[in-house]
Amino acid sequence: MFDLELGPLGSASVFLAFGLAVYGAVAGIVGAARRDARLQTSARLAAVAGFILATAAVVVMQAALLTNDFSVTYVAGHSRIASPTWVKVVTMWAALEGSILLWSWLLTGYTALLAVTAPLSPLRPYAISIMQAVQVFFLGVLAFIANPFKVVPLPPLDGPGPNELLQNHWMMAVHPLLMYLGFVGLTVPFAYAMAALITRRPGTEWMAQTRRWTLTGWGFLSGAIVAGGWWSYEVLGWGGYWAWDPVENVSFMPWLTATAFIHSVQVQERRRMLKPWNVLLIVTTFSLSILGTFLTRSGVVSSVHAFGNGPVGPAFLVFFLLVTLTAFGLLALRWDDVRDRADLDSIVSREGSFLGVNILFVTLTAAVLLGTLFPLIVEAFTGDKVTVGAPFFDQTTLPLWLLVLALMGIGPLLPWRRAEQQRLARNLALLTGALVVSGALAWLLGVHKVYPALTVALAGYNLMSLYLLLSGALVPRLRLANRGALHVLRSYAVESRRRVGSMIVHFAVVIVAVGVAFSSGYRVDEQIRLDFGSSAEFSGYTLTAVDRFMERTPARISAGAVIEVTRGGRPVTTLRPRLNLFGEAGRTVPTPAVYYTATHDLYLNLNSSVGPDTTFVVLRVVKSPLVTWIWVGGAILLFGTAYSLGGGRRPATARAVAGEKPEGAPA
Amino acid sequence: MKLRRIALIAVVVAAIGALFAFGLLRGNPDDRNITSNLIGKPAPTFALPLYERYWPDYGETFSLQAHVGRPLVINFWASWCLPCYEEAPVLQQAWQTYGPQGVQFVGIQTQDRDKRDEGRTFIARFNLGFPNVLDNDSLVGVDWALYGVPETFFVDASGKVVAKHIGPVTAAVLDQQLGALLR
Repeated sequence: MFDLELGPLGSASVFLAFGLAVYGAVAGIVGAARRDARLQTSARLAAVAGFILATAAVVVMQAALLTNDFSVTYVAGHSRIASPTWVKVVTMWAALEGSILLWSWLLTGYTALLAVTAPLSPLRPYAISIMQAVQVFFLGVLAFIANPFKVVPLPPLDGPGPNELLQNHWMMAVHPLLMYLGFVGLTVPFAYAMAALITRRPGTEWMAQTRRWTLTGWGFLSGAIVAGGWWSYEVLGWGGYWAWDPVENVSFMPWLTATAFIHSVQVQERRRMLKPWNVLLIVTTFSLSILGTFLTRSGVVSSVHAFGNGPVGPAFLVFFLLVTLTAFGLLALRWDDVRDRADLDSIVSREGSFLGVNILFVTLTAAVLLGTLFPLIVEAFTGDKVTVGAPFFDQTTLPLWLLVLALMGIGPLLPWRRAEQQRLARNLALLTGALVVSGALAWLLGVHKVYPALTVALAGYNLMSLYLLLSGALVPRLRLANRGALHVLRSYAVESRRRVGSMIVHFAVVIVAVGVAFSSGYRVDEQIRLDFGSSAEFSGYTLTAVDRFMERTPARISAGAVIEVTRGGRPVTTLRPRLNLFGEAGRTVPTPAVYYTATHDLYLNLNSSVGPDTTFVVLRVVKSPLVTWIWVGGAILLFGTAYSLGGGRRPATARAVAGEKPEGAPA
Repeated sequence: MKLRRIALIAVVVAAIGALFAFGLLRGNPDDRNITSNLIGKPAPTFALPLYERYWPDYGETFSLQAHVGRPLVINFWASWCLPCYEEAPVLQQAWQTYGPQGVQFVGIQTQDRDKRDEGRTFIARFNLGFPNVLDNDSLVGVDWALYGVPETFFVDASGKVVAKHIGPVTAAVLDQQLGALLR
């Protein structure tokens, strides 16, 4: 064991990092206001030193977890000797204080990276200071309100271990990391937007300098949401991946506004328009990420996986209100600088479609926010307790999603400023043709439900749109280049990473949309009781309960059933759904068994306990068509985001000038 | 104009703040605070093996049945439970006060299979004078419908459960409950 005491060491690191954040925030702003380069440099060095100290705190926490040092409060409260090593590592973000430590650490890391790599500009000192001001909050919470390093005077001999649901799947190691990387990544454009308002430079500078940060943050957040869905699918045992639970909604809302933002900034880059929108969207994104943390950490809205209450909730509320008031107040003060001078030439244009994207995504955010907060509002005014379930969210958002898909197909085909009638008519005819043909095809093949059928129609329409975009870009190049199609495609893909990346992402969205439409529209869900040795039919499969089993590892006891799956007499697979008990105190949590195929999943969850004397099992059996494509689509989306970020570092403004001609319309 | 905009923003933010402050102040719909069904009912009985140090005074087994007729404090704990370490000295203190007044305390180590050595260390660390037993299969915990540890139950002289406390018990709670039972 360690001779030095980990608790005080961790606390000292956090306190020092907090001090440095305070210093950096003040020194940076004073240095910028006085144009004092030395002060500015010292603020940047403080950012780097803050990251080193936060890293020290994380290393200390990991050391405490891995050596079972129960004199550290967090370890005593959330870890357990018998847990496997990987669970001990991820225990750091399995509960509130540790997750704030992770968030703070990533925030200091991003700030340090920014301090080292950001190009010199009038915005930089303010942006770094604002990042450090955000650090002051997180590190302050860590140091004074939820210190995970507090020393336990009488350390227990063992701890309870992390929440059972979090020990159950490796995805838990990934999902929170991605989520915080996303939130923290989106803090950078927020900081730059604030810097732009402070310095009265609301031009394209702040977004050009943060494009990579924004896209990276958005990519991580998208990945986190898909990973969270997959975790829910693999762990929670109801065969679904999205329940419109408040904790899901609060991670989804910043994603919605961030999605609007990454589209909307392009209009400002090209046409110097939608400036107030862009500031509004990034401020809202950041506010919503803090609001989400407040809602899930305070017990204000009841959720299946809230972290419970404590003094952290009020702190996040105060910070949320402060951020919202300051950011919107600053925007109001600078309104005359930010206001758009130009008007839309025509709504039927690229910028018109981007404005449409903004309106749709903000409406979606408002709907989700309303549904999430509605129970609280009703209780505040009438005292009644109500819940808002999935039907509300489905009914309000589904039509909007279809509109998003529709806009996604036509938008990229529209030129900037104003569309030519002739070209527009031709494209519209082709798109409508694809829409009708694929819709009709789906109908003939038996897709008679409205939303899945419409989704297929819109998928066909979007594929046509992607084809038109690609051929519009490639055909002229083919004529000019006089080379093979493959060569031209490759050089186009290398030259126009941003454009091709967005096509890949849009393609991924189509795949996810089809996956969601079918897996929710055509899901078959049954409860089956099976005696051992007997069989039951389910949706073309024969399920036979062959045996029961029991496994014991130091960390858990599992009991389950061996289910043989056959189809038309031929063996397909053997599934082993089980129940796990982690430690003595825990609830039992199920691990469903899933048979993945390209067309549908067969999902078995054990709904009854299995012991040496049990003679039967109760299974929840779910068949969801095309559900795998949601995960595949998510992976493609991440690839597309990474692709558009890859390659050289040509500044966005240079590219904007280079590619002035509208692309995507066949000549 | 600027002032009016900022005032508007301040009003909206204040309204949002008020709504959330209401959410915080109304308390958390905490599912752990459901009152126990056991309240008012006869205490579920048990007979569990005692740790060695209590053998001279209580024998090898502690049977609840044998102690009905006096007010009882039944405390569930585990060796891995941080709040249990907080409340153990409080319980020992109260035992020294109320034991002579006729109250019987018993500690039940539960959800802690085969952790006898850890149990002995726990008891020795706090020098617990009241008897402690091991509920190795956690079945007594099930009979008492435990949500988690620590939980403390108060049983009156007629053997009825009168109160349940979730989380670490404090001197104030013990004084209040036992004051009522001894009246």
